[in-house]
Amino acid sequence: MSNTLRPYLNAVRATLTTALTLDNFASQMVERHNKPEVEARTSPEVLLQPLIVSRNESERVLIEPSVNSLRLSIAIKQADEIEKILCHKFTRFMMMRAEGFVILRRKPLPGYDISFLITNFHSESMLKHKLVDFIIQFMEDVDKEISEMKLSLNARARIVAESYLATFV
Amino acid sequence: MSRQPPLVIDNGTGYTKMGFAGNSEPSFVFPTVIATHQSASSGSASAASSGGRAPPPVAGKPSHLASKRGIEDLDFFIGDEAVANSKTYSLHYPIRHGQIENWDHMERFWEQSIFKYLRAEPEDHYVLLTEPPLNPPENRENTAEIMFESFNVQGLYIAVQAVLALAASWTSSKVAERTLTGVVIDSGDGVTHTIPVAEGYVIGSSIKHIPIAGRDITYFVQQLLRDRGETAAIPPEDQLRVAEKIKEDYTYVCQDIVKEFKKYDADPYKYFARFSGEHSVTGRVSGVPSSSTDLTPSHLLFAHRRAQNKFERFLANRIISVPQKYDLDVGYERFLAPEIFFNPEIYSSDFLTPLPEVVDTVIQTSPIDVRRGLYKNIVLSGGSTMFKDFGKRLQRDVKAIVDGRIAGSEERSGSLMKSSGVEVNVISHKRQRYAVWYGGSLMASTPEFYNVSHSRVDYEEYGPSLVRRFSVFGSAV
Amino acid sequence: MILLESHSVIIHDVLTDRFEKPSRADIQFVDYDNVRFHLSTPQSKAQVLLSMGIQCWPDLVKFGAREHLQQQYAGLLLGEAETEPEYNVSLLIDLEKLPATPEEQTELINQISLLKATAMSAPFLSAFAEQATLQANYKEPAGAQQMDLQPSEHKGELKVVRYREEEAIYIQASHDHVTIIFSTVFKEETDRVYGRVFLQEFVDARQLQSLQSAPQVTYSNREPPLEIRHIPGLKTGEDWGYVTFILFPRHFANPTKALSTINRIQLFRDYLHYHIKCSKAYMHSRMRYRVAEFLKILNRAKPEVAHAERKTASGRTFRTR
Repeated sequence: MSNTLRPYLNAVRATLTTALTLDNFASQMVERHNKPEVEARTSPEVLLQPLIVSRNESERVLIEPSVNSLRLSIAIKQADEIEKILCHKFTRFMMMRAEGFVILRRKPLPGYDISFLITNFHSESMLKHKLVDFIIQFMEDVDKEISEMKLSLNARARIVAESYLATFV
Repeated sequence: MSRQPPLVIDNGTGYTKMGFAGNSEPSFVFPTVIATHQSASSGSASAASSGGRAPPPVAGKPSHLASKRGIEDLDFFIGDEAVANSKTYSLHYPIRHGQIENWDHMERFWEQSIFKYLRAEPEDHYVLLTEPPLNPPENRENTAEIMFESFNVQGLYIAVQAVLALAASWTSSKVAERTLTGVVIDSGDGVTHTIPVAEGYVIGSSIKHIPIAGRDITYFVQQLLRDRGETAAIPPEDQLRVAEKIKEDYTYVCQDIVKEFKKYDADPYKYFARFSGEHSVTGRVSGVPSSSTDLTPSHLLFAHRRAQNKFERFLANRIISVPQKYDLDVGYERFLAPEIFFNPEIYSSDFLTPLPEVVDTVIQTSPIDVRRGLYKNIVLSGGSTMFKDFGKRLQRDVKAIVDGRIAGSEERSGSLMKSSGVEVNVISHKRQRYAVWYGGSLMASTPEFYNVSHSRVDYEEYGPSLVRRFSVFGSAV
Repeated sequence: MILLESHSVIIHDVLTDRFEKPSRADIQFVDYDNVRFHLSTPQSKAQVLLSMGIQCWPDLVKFGAREHLQQQYAGLLLGEAETEPEYNVSLLIDLEKLPATPEEQTELINQISLLKATAMSAPFLSAFAEQATLQANYKEPAGAQQMDLQPSEHKGELKVVRYREEEAIYIQASHDHVTIIFSTVFKEETDRVYGRVFLQEFVDARQLQSLQSAPQVTYSNREPPLEIRHIPGLKTGEDWGYVTFILFPRHFANPTKALSTINRIQLFRDYLHYHIKCSKAYMHSRMRYRVAEFLKILNRAKPEVAHAERKTASGRTFRTR
């Protein structure tokens, strides 16, 4: 792990842990409803100051806390065209399966690649520190996975080209 | 330019049927099985050995695939080739109980089906796939994701197998009007389904499964032969194959089992058939090319028709050199074998409901307003419904149940009410064996097909959830 | 399967079957690059009619495809008048007049199943022949500069085969090599990106010691290469790519070699697209694995619920879902 990644992840972890203090909070607009305030945005007084943790231009995390929910959006590193398309494919693939990932948002926030929405129900039914672990692990692995995918694509392309040209020899 | 014909692919639990729309038979029928290389962890030893023993994947090219890192996932076989390579590769069945279980394997299975066998550029074609009744929408989405994103198909339509089987029955001369209402009896190798369909929609709550199908009949034939002592002459490893052959070539459905027994006893010479076969193993010692050993009996469960023909051809060639023949009498099993559908107690001890009764229950549990339509249109599909007079017997038995019930209610009403009677029709037709595929081919060759399929443009706009929308068509055909 | 095969499996299987036992047939199928086949028995079971429709047939005829097929399928090929309507070529196989030995029969089947490849090979063969003539007539120029001044004199005719709706093969013979250019289009963003990675590797692969004698490959994106730049109506844009193969005489030194080269090169586009699709399939399986792993990690966050057995008043157990 490179030097800058560790502090970056640590910062995210610390922020996230702090922000994950969610409470059951009934909607002030609709009676007997309970909406994630960060999504509903109906009562400004329950929204907290959003925060961006940024490693460099392309990699950053936006954390938007509120009284009963927290939205976390990640911009994943995309160095070139290939990484961009792979990243897009991967996040799309994951969001297709958002059903299984209870905290995954089906659409990312504009400007980000993937978003999570954690409500107080999630933080009540799941272990908070493990949830944070998941986010951190995800951020770590997704970069690794994308660069591995890129490598394997290149390797494949090479084999394919060689096998084809070898038939002419 | 003229449009390229759509690809019609019916992936069943046992066999995959695929071909082009507009044809009357699938171009390829082979087991839905994929042989992948043992996991890469087994190291270079396995890679080296496969290079030596397994036939090269491409003519004239040594199997260097496995040795190249990063492209192991292309080193696999499907269908008959997979069965033939089962010694060095491990077999996987991506479909279980009609539903796709392993998407990785299925995706690769499709990859090779399209590029190696159908030789079609999927970008130029529409594709019709089939799904079992009550397939979860997630599976449809996954399928669409693979078809559109990996293969860039022009369009996709996922049809329910039972509906296609109904459409296939339109070829029968008995069918007066082309409806999509009816009961489909689909009997393959593993299990028999009775599926009611009303106007193109499956009535999921009334579906019944019967654990008796082709394989059970084969076992039953084998058991009958053994009981009579006929198997003494057959080498043990051939017994199943012989039983299967007898099932396919000699059996029929009788109309009255007692009469049939009497007929046989009165004149056995007239009714007993002779079956002659040859030892298949002896060939191995007499130096036959190693390819023949691919067809050991354990694989024969899967060896599909074509492979079997090959095998018989090979046997025929060998008679001259090894005259190891045996003869056996085929007796009561000729009509007893398919009888297990009608009297399951002669074979099984845990499932005792006869097929006609199951059909009746299925219809009786369906909504009342479609019952007449269902009785009128009972359609057969799949290889295990191919027995001679199967339809006739089923029709008679179902009719008997229905008439009995009507008579009973008339009597209970004090003979005041008279019923106009219920029409019972069992449709059997020429395309029964691959009915589902044929129905698909029929539907995909209509111009309407292009309107109801999901096109690439739509997919790009809505994403995979597109296929959740289920559009029935065919009623206007 | 890395390489695509040249023969049609359906033709091969059906004919093998029919040679054993003649029976009725009426099958329509396709091959790569908009090729349609129709195999039927119009008159009797023993008369198998195999018709092929190729989109680029008008192009192929110009380069002697019919003559070439006539030569390859002597006795089988039907004249233009007898060709099935809507198709370009028809072969009539009489099952009663088959060669005697099984080996010859297999040979015949193999040959017939290569029908598409054979038809497509005509322009390549004529380019190879042209190259031979050019080479024979070629005089060593006095200086290199002279060649630069009049390069076109030593070049053969530029053959265009529009083998797909939008894509074409351009073939040009020169005195010491034959240039083959594929124009290829990628319909999707992902394909384009993947395609570019693949094509770049084709260009780079030749640096390998063992592949020094392979044809030289160049790839240009957006801009068509010089050889064909004068052709009107060439598409340019992000989605378009031009791949140039330069075949040297050693690649078609003898007929067997020439044939294998042709069979290989005409499937180039399909090969490329096949592998793009395989890569996508591979990526999918990787992603499936990774997503499953992520799910596992997430599920660790769910505390394990102790399943205490619950009983009704009468003492029966039940389970909540």
